[in-house]
Amino acid sequence: MNVALALQGVSKIYPGGVRAVEDVDLDLFAGEIHALCGENGAGKSTLAQIAAGKLAPSSGTVTGAERVGLVHQHFELVDRLRVWENVVLGREPRRGLRVDVAAARERVRSLATAYGLDVDPDAIVETLPVGIAQRVEILRELARDPRVLVLDEPTAVLAPVEIDTLFATLRALAARGTAILVITHKLGEVVAHAERVTVMRAGRVVLRSLVRDTSAGEIARAMVGGALPTIAEREPTPTVAAFAARGVAAGEGAHALRDATFDVRGGEIVGIAGVEGNGQVALADAIAGIVPYTGTMSLRERPLDGLDAADRIAAGLRTIPQDRQREALVLDWSITDNVALGDQARAPMRRGIAVDRGAARTLATQIVERFDVRTPSIRARVGALSGGNQQKVVVGRALAHAPAFVVAFQPTRGIDVGAAALVQSRLIEARNAGAAVLLVSFELDEVLALSDRILVLYRGAVAGSFERDDFDRARIGALMAGA
Amino acid sequence: MESFSGFLALALVKATPLIFAALAGTICERAGILNIALEGALTVAAFAAVAVSFATGSPLLGLLAAVLASMLLCALLGIAATRFGVDQIVAGTGLNLLAAGGTAFALVVIFGQPGASPEVHALGDGGERALIVCAFACALVLQLVLDRTPWGLRVRACGENPRALLSAGVDPRRLRVVATLVGGALAGLGGAFLSLGELDIYSDGMTSGRGFIALAAVIFGRWMPLGAAGAAIAFGALSALQFVLQRAGVPSELMQSLPYLAALAALTGIVGRARAPAADGVSLD
Amino acid sequence: MTARARAYGGPALGAIVLLAIAAGAMALAGANPIDGFAALVHGALGGTDQICETLVQTTALLFPSLAVAFAFRAGLFNIGAEGQLVMGGLCAGLVGAALAVPGWIAIPAILIAGAFGGAAWGGIAGALRARFGGNEVIATLMLNIIAGLLANYLVVGPLHAPDATGAETSELPASSWLPLLIPDTRLSIALVLGIALAAFLAFVFRSTVFGYELRAAGDAPEVARRAGINLPRTAFVAMTLSGAIAGFGGATIVAGVLHRFDVELSPGYGFIAIAVALVGGLDPLWIVLASFVFGILQSGSLSMQAFAHVPKDVVTFVEGLAILALATRRFVAPRTAAS
Repeated sequence: MNVALALQGVSKIYPGGVRAVEDVDLDLFAGEIHALCGENGAGKSTLAQIAAGKLAPSSGTVTGAERVGLVHQHFELVDRLRVWENVVLGREPRRGLRVDVAAARERVRSLATAYGLDVDPDAIVETLPVGIAQRVEILRELARDPRVLVLDEPTAVLAPVEIDTLFATLRALAARGTAILVITHKLGEVVAHAERVTVMRAGRVVLRSLVRDTSAGEIARAMVGGALPTIAEREPTPTVAAFAARGVAAGEGAHALRDATFDVRGGEIVGIAGVEGNGQVALADAIAGIVPYTGTMSLRERPLDGLDAADRIAAGLRTIPQDRQREALVLDWSITDNVALGDQARAPMRRGIAVDRGAARTLATQIVERFDVRTPSIRARVGALSGGNQQKVVVGRALAHAPAFVVAFQPTRGIDVGAAALVQSRLIEARNAGAAVLLVSFELDEVLALSDRILVLYRGAVAGSFERDDFDRARIGALMAGA
Repeated sequence: MESFSGFLALALVKATPLIFAALAGTICERAGILNIALEGALTVAAFAAVAVSFATGSPLLGLLAAVLASMLLCALLGIAATRFGVDQIVAGTGLNLLAAGGTAFALVVIFGQPGASPEVHALGDGGERALIVCAFACALVLQLVLDRTPWGLRVRACGENPRALLSAGVDPRRLRVVATLVGGALAGLGGAFLSLGELDIYSDGMTSGRGFIALAAVIFGRWMPLGAAGAAIAFGALSALQFVLQRAGVPSELMQSLPYLAALAALTGIVGRARAPAADGVSLD
Repeated sequence: MTARARAYGGPALGAIVLLAIAAGAMALAGANPIDGFAALVHGALGGTDQICETLVQTTALLFPSLAVAFAFRAGLFNIGAEGQLVMGGLCAGLVGAALAVPGWIAIPAILIAGAFGGAAWGGIAGALRARFGGNEVIATLMLNIIAGLLANYLVVGPLHAPDATGAETSELPASSWLPLLIPDTRLSIALVLGIALAAFLAFVFRSTVFGYELRAAGDAPEVARRAGINLPRTAFVAMTLSGAIAGFGGATIVAGVLHRFDVELSPGYGFIAIAVALVGGLDPLWIVLASFVFGILQSGSLSMQAFAHVPKDVVTFVEGLAILALATRRFVAPRTAAS
């Protein structure tokens, strides 16, 4: 078997001491689909970038193919350009001084046919649905005729049917001799489609095996590294009407929310299951009050429509945003300054025209204790904390002051297992204390584990509803895909 | 000027430096550089043209000097913004001050008198006409380059999503610097026209805000070279109109302020919600 | 080399390079750089009169610099301090010339009129940004020029003072002049007002809810939005207040120094203010010091021109260079998303 790409002793250590990747050996064989697994933060994406030559390792070597294609998790396409323009960017076919448009279109068409990735060369990328846009990203990489293709979490934005199509494509590619590295944390995909698997944890390789020689269970244990941390027990709670949404619609285009009608009662966690891009962002933004919407919402019988974000926070609505670094925390500020965000306009954080620093310090100290935030002090710059600790600050802030309704959007995205378990425990504790919790997550396992009720969101509307006793992974997955 | 054809001629003369500056602004913004140093670029170009013509007696060498001086200034903007992490607006402001101070300083040092240079060999009627035609030609060529050439495609990508360009193996930094060089060359032609085409001297402050009108023209032209040139022609006509109406008692300041008021109106989206390139003015990480 | 040395070494090296360039320019002008610098320093600090004049320039720079810094902290580029200053001065000059009331009423009225004039000018850009998402850089640049044209038109035309020699309004009655700090100089209490304003702004940023929300909007707009901060309203308020500060500054020039409005009242203070704001690290109290440094350059440059025969524009040139050099320290967070 010939090795298409070999990584030896590769490490990546960032200034400040963060060891993203430590002493990794990895061989990619031509014609094989190789899965790289690990929890969020295990170093998979970093390794992928190094393998693709986009990032230089601190030490170690990468030998083998010069042409390594990388399909990113968040596409790097120019939305306002056409498909063919994106695909040939940087290697444009020429006719004299001009771009040979016909040749470019033809190149796209022939690639599309060869790999079964149907797409209209003249379509403007921003008009395409996510699954189709991903094809453009893949085609762009394939246009360079790579010997190795790396895909970073390619199925995060795909419905189950589209996932099957993608892997069929990858299988065809492998059959032609390309070496394929798929980064994923979904065990089902690994077992179903990959020949070889490598598991990373905390930057190191902890398992290396042919898929047929191992099992999903063994892979999962390697990813997690031992016993799964326990999550708080859920207690039966009296349920009181809390949040109600009727016919809420927001946003435009492929990711719009079209019709959200549901209730969340106090003392329950309602999980929104769905593939990314089916209206979750519009839903979360509409509830938070930062985008206009039609329809009605109410919290504890009190209408929310017409209330802006500040009023909703005052009414007892707290959000844990999807992207903690861009939406929840001011990275240059201290923990103390950050915990006042959202409450700065009211007592106790506000005293007259001034911010009550003492109250902020008290809250910061409480959060650090209760959430086990690893930091030298509450005056530390939040940007210097690790992802897990940053998230703990965000969650701690949201759950302080006993909110009536919490929207937790991807609350454990990109954090280590220990921090994730703690966050999930605190959410359950908030639920036990009577809060209404709306959990929006792209990780079906998380939704299944935490929710009392699950609503499936597909193309901006609720496609199905499941009580805890009736949770059925297959049926939920089918609804997520629109079946 | 007593006739319509006279008015037209004046409008063209007034429009030409604006066309060059607007084209410069367009190519820079399409690549993602909001070039507010166009005013400074026009200034150094106009000055260099006169200074070199004075020193060598050749207006053509003056033209060349203007182009080089402007390219240098705009390249400073591009390099400061892409390699030194300087914010584009701040860098542009600094360069404008630098140009204003530097040219006023050089005026005294070279010519021994503040305020204005002596008369020098200018481009003459033939040269003036050639530059006017050149301006129109440049508009057309730039539009074709942007729409049809590989470099033009990369520029358009750079202004929307520089990361995509990076993924495609093209360095967006270098591309932005090249774009500022191209813009600088165009602005250089505009500045040279001001001092050596329309007139035959350099005087302090002769650019009088044209570099900023150019930015307005870019918005009106929806970031397309032909559109920006069209807007520049309209502004030039306004400028010519100013002379006519002044005799009728309309204050010249009102006419002069029309392009700027129009630009403010454009910001309200009245001319339609054309979107600026998404990465316009945005620094590269 | 310790980290501290490196931290101070950068700007120190930068300062040395700038000085070297200035010296080179002086040499080009045919002057001895030592004479040039000496004339500049002596002209700025050589005696009580000189120091007072330097402080006059300091004051003139202080207000627009605080205005620019205020907007920067809120994440906005106010390139229009020059126009706001002119409009403030215009309003102050008009009100001052028209009012025939005792000084203790007239002076606050004049200063407030100046603040209103600048606020209106800043508010236009702020409204365009808040309501339409219009780029405030373009808006303020355009408004600068419109302000100059408007002032020119009004003062040469309909509001021309019968007794004026140039493009200026009638002189303010003596009772409306700002009291002087030191008699027989041009230094008025405006300096004290400016320093007080700087202290007040420092307090606002550090301690008040308003300052907290402003900083959040500037440092992390998406975070601020979700924390319930109304971004368009903050932008509008910030631009308006920024304009008010610059306008107030224009009013102090009119009421304290020139005693009339003159279209030439500012040799570009609004643009130099950007350099001052950056040198001051956007901190109001450091800006006071930075204004003094630049004030030395401004007032010394005239002496340098008169006695060492170095054109004063070399100062403008070096200021532009300083902006380029300083901005690499990322005082102003570069725009990272279209808002």
